[in-house]
Amino acid sequence: MSRPVLSIAQLALERGRNDQVFRIDVPKLELMPGEIVAIVGPSGCGKSTLLETIGLLLDARHAERFSIDDIDIRASMGLSQAKREALWARIRQHGLGFVPQTGGLLPFLNVWQNICLPVQMSGGNTVDPIVHLLIRRLNLETLLCRMPRELSIGERQRVSFVRSLARRPTLLLADEPTAALDPGLSQELFALIVEIARQESIATLIVTHEWDLVGQFSLPSLKGQAESAGRVVFNA
Amino acid sequence: MPSSLSTKLHARPEQSVLFGLALKDLFYDKKISLCVVASVLAVVGPLLLLFGLKFGIVSQLRGELLSDPRNKEVQMTASARLDEEWFATLRKASGVGFVLPLTRSLNTQADLFVDGRRFLENVELIPTAAGDPLLGDLSVPTQDSEVVLSRTAADRLKLEVGDTLNLRVVRTLDKTLERAQMQVRVRAILPPQAISRPAVLITLPLLIAVEDYRDGVKVAMLSSVTGTEPARRSHFARARIYADSIDSVERVAERLQELGIETNSRVAEIKSVQAIDRVLGFVFAVIAWAAALGCAASMIGALMANIERKRKDLALLRLFGYGRRSMLSYVIAQALCLTVIGFGLGCAMYFIGSYTFNHILAIHLTRGTFVCRLEFIHFGIGLASAMAISVVVCAFGGLLATKIEPAESLRDV
Repeated sequence: MSRPVLSIAQLALERGRNDQVFRIDVPKLELMPGEIVAIVGPSGCGKSTLLETIGLLLDARHAERFSIDDIDIRASMGLSQAKREALWARIRQHGLGFVPQTGGLLPFLNVWQNICLPVQMSGGNTVDPIVHLLIRRLNLETLLCRMPRELSIGERQRVSFVRSLARRPTLLLADEPTAALDPGLSQELFALIVEIARQESIATLIVTHEWDLVGQFSLPSLKGQAESAGRVVFNA
Repeated sequence: MPSSLSTKLHARPEQSVLFGLALKDLFYDKKISLCVVASVLAVVGPLLLLFGLKFGIVSQLRGELLSDPRNKEVQMTASARLDEEWFATLRKASGVGFVLPLTRSLNTQADLFVDGRRFLENVELIPTAAGDPLLGDLSVPTQDSEVVLSRTAADRLKLEVGDTLNLRVVRTLDKTLERAQMQVRVRAILPPQAISRPAVLITLPLLIAVEDYRDGVKVAMLSSVTGTEPARRSHFARARIYADSIDSVERVAERLQELGIETNSRVAEIKSVQAIDRVLGFVFAVIAWAAALGCAASMIGALMANIERKRKDLALLRLFGYGRRSMLSYVIAQALCLTVIGFGLGCAMYFIGSYTFNHILAIHLTRGTFVCRLEFIHFGIGLASAMAISVVVCAFGGLLATKIEPAESLRDV
């Protein structure tokens, strides 16, 4: 029996300055291997903030349960900043894959070096077989020696996605990966992420504002809705 | 059952990969790297040249002082009555390098005689012993029948090391002119610059014998059979005194002054070199500080602008798992690398400049003595200081880098 990769209950986070604090609540979120959930909601409702909190980039204020692959994140929330950051950096390094909105590639490394970076920095020398498969399928072979500045935005996003799989992450987090693309490319990349995540059983969270794509792939979604001024609740 | 993720967590990101990235980044960002290298070069090159000139000039002046042992000499201007205790005390005084008794000045002369054609009259006699600064590395006379000739004396008498000659002394005893002589062998010949006039260095006993002979004493060493019986010598009129270094000359002269002895030395010349050293040192220090501050300011500027520009890249590295401190190492590694390159180019600039000074300018100087010179240690100290400054600069600029949050890489701000 498989266990949930991500398990969250009563997660609360606060963001903003003194006079403009806004609070985000997630009553419940569970993600099984291969399961894909879209985080949707109006602009500024805190979708990215929520993703960054789950991606261990921001500190949550409170949680009843917060675990990634059975690692109790909630327990580490009380640690000192240095210890917490060190532990979370290790979890990001070994367990999480990120696909940023744009860029996300180091300009001074070529495409292949960018893809291999997460493997190299963990002392490894072989990328996950899925990477080779995707490079062939996405026709990236001819681009491997190119520098990021020589690529189109669509190509960069694809490379960025391939790189997020280099170490076969436990949890894949994509923050509006298709936002900078035109509709055709956007659907293509979205479809690819969904397909690979299902096929490789990688639990995935995608922040998106493209409702039609969510509907088209019949993805379960976590919708952010303003309950009151300065308070957003994300419900399934 | 532990998750597969939790078993992997111990592995930290590789620092060697981080340094590799830092270097690739520098190479990719050639223009900015060049700016930083240029700002280091602009300071290091001229500073090395300036310091090379200062060091070259001062060490050459010092070298001239050092090469002439007479500069260490403290001459007594008048005769005194110096006993053995006086000599013992002076030998122990700090700064004193060599002390030897000397007879009354009128008696430090003799004739040197080889044959009817080769002779010198009234040649100066100088007592010598082991440690005599005049001798330098030459061998010391070990017997009373061995002498060291000045170059002039050797040339005029056409003598080489190992040749023999006669030392002749004349006296008037009971209104009769008497003459004594002793055969001596040339042990060594002084270099021309040591003493320019004809002179002969002899052992102290021989000098005493000459003085005693002139004083009318019966001297066995000079085979004289007439005169008064010899008495034990208990005091001397003068002394040959040398300081152990040119820096001690003033101290030794002062010490003798305290003992009531008037002296003559080259303190003034030595002091002027020391003053030049101090003044140039001060000028150099002021310029070096001003230049280093300017360089530090320009590096801080370049570094901070660079960190701002690279925010997203650094945030991405943080996203992948590198810690805050790694960002500081990343920035420091880059700055050190650029500093070393800038310093290397600065050294090249120095070598070209010093070649120009030493070879081209020297033509216009009569003695061809213009010197711009640095020793290996100076380059070492220079590189270490440059690296220290860039690390300090980085510690300021790099703090910015440690404040970068990994989340910045995700957002398109």
